[in-house]
Amino acid sequence: MSHEWQPDFEKLVDEHQSMVFSLAYRTTGDRGLAEEIAQDVFLELDRNLGKIESSEHALYWLRRVTMSRSADALRRQRVRGINLWVEMDENHGAQFEPRSSSLSARLEGLLATLPSPQRAALVLRYQEGLTPDEIAAALDSPLATVKSNLQRGLKLLRAKAESHLKEYIRGI
Amino acid sequence: MEFEPKDQLERELEQSMVRLPAPPGLKRKIMARRQAREAERKHHRVVFWQRLAASVLVCGAAGGAVTWHNVQERRKGEEARQQVMVALRIAGRALDQMNVQLAAHDNGK
Repeated sequence: MSHEWQPDFEKLVDEHQSMVFSLAYRTTGDRGLAEEIAQDVFLELDRNLGKIESSEHALYWLRRVTMSRSADALRRQRVRGINLWVEMDENHGAQFEPRSSSLSARLEGLLATLPSPQRAALVLRYQEGLTPDEIAAALDSPLATVKSNLQRGLKLLRAKAESHLKEYIRGI
Repeated sequence: MEFEPKDQLERELEQSMVRLPAPPGLKRKIMARRQAREAERKHHRVVFWQRLAASVLVCGAAGGAVTWHNVQERRKGEEARQQVMVALRIAGRALDQMNVQLAAHDNGK
C-alpha cells in the first residue's frame, strides 16, 4: 500500500449507516431487526477494524457482512415460522409514501414478495448499483447463480408488475 | 403510451430503491453499545488479573504450607533421631557399666 489508511469508526458509521440499514431492511423486511443487524454489523466492523485496509475495503466488507447477517436472520425467522414480509407488505406503502411515488412504493412491495436469493441480488443491483461480479462477491455465490437470480427475479417482478401495477403503468 | 417492461421496470427500480435514511439514534445506539462493550472488556480484563493474582496467592500459600509442613516433619524426625541416639548412648553406657561390674565380679571370684 502506498499510503496508510487510518480507519475512523465514527466516520464509517456516519458514512455507511444508511446503506447498511437499507440493505438489512430490504432483505429482512423488519425495521427493528434491520436496526439490530446494522448495530451488530458495525460492532463487528469495530472488532475487525485492524484488518480493514481502505475505505473501499470497508464498504465491500460492510455490504458482505450485512447481506450475510440478514440472510442468517431470515433463516432464523423461517425456522421460527415467522414471515416478516407479510407484516411489511401490509404497511409497506404507508412507510415509503412520504419519500417516494406510489408506483415506487408498490414496486418495492412487489420486490418484497420475491424469493430471498432473488431479492438480495436485485437489492444489491438496484440499490447499490453493483455488477453481477460484485454481487457474487458480496453474496459469496457463484456468478452464474447471481446472474440467474437477477434474470429470474426481474422476470418474476415484471410479471407481477404487469398484473398488479397496470393502472400505474398506463398513467406514465 | 406503450409499456416497455424491461427499461421502464429497471428504471423505476433504480429510482425507487434509493438508500433509506438510517433510523434516528442508530449511530448513538452503536456508539453506546461499543462503549458498553469496551467497559465490559476492561472489567473482564480486571477480573482476569484479579483471579490470576488470587490464584498465584493461593498457590503460593499452599506451596508455603506444604514446605512449612515438610520442614516441621523433618525437624521432628531429626529431634526423634537425636532422642534415639541419646537413648542408645545411655543404654550403651549402662551396658558398659554392667560389663565393668560383671568383669569385677568375675575377677573377685
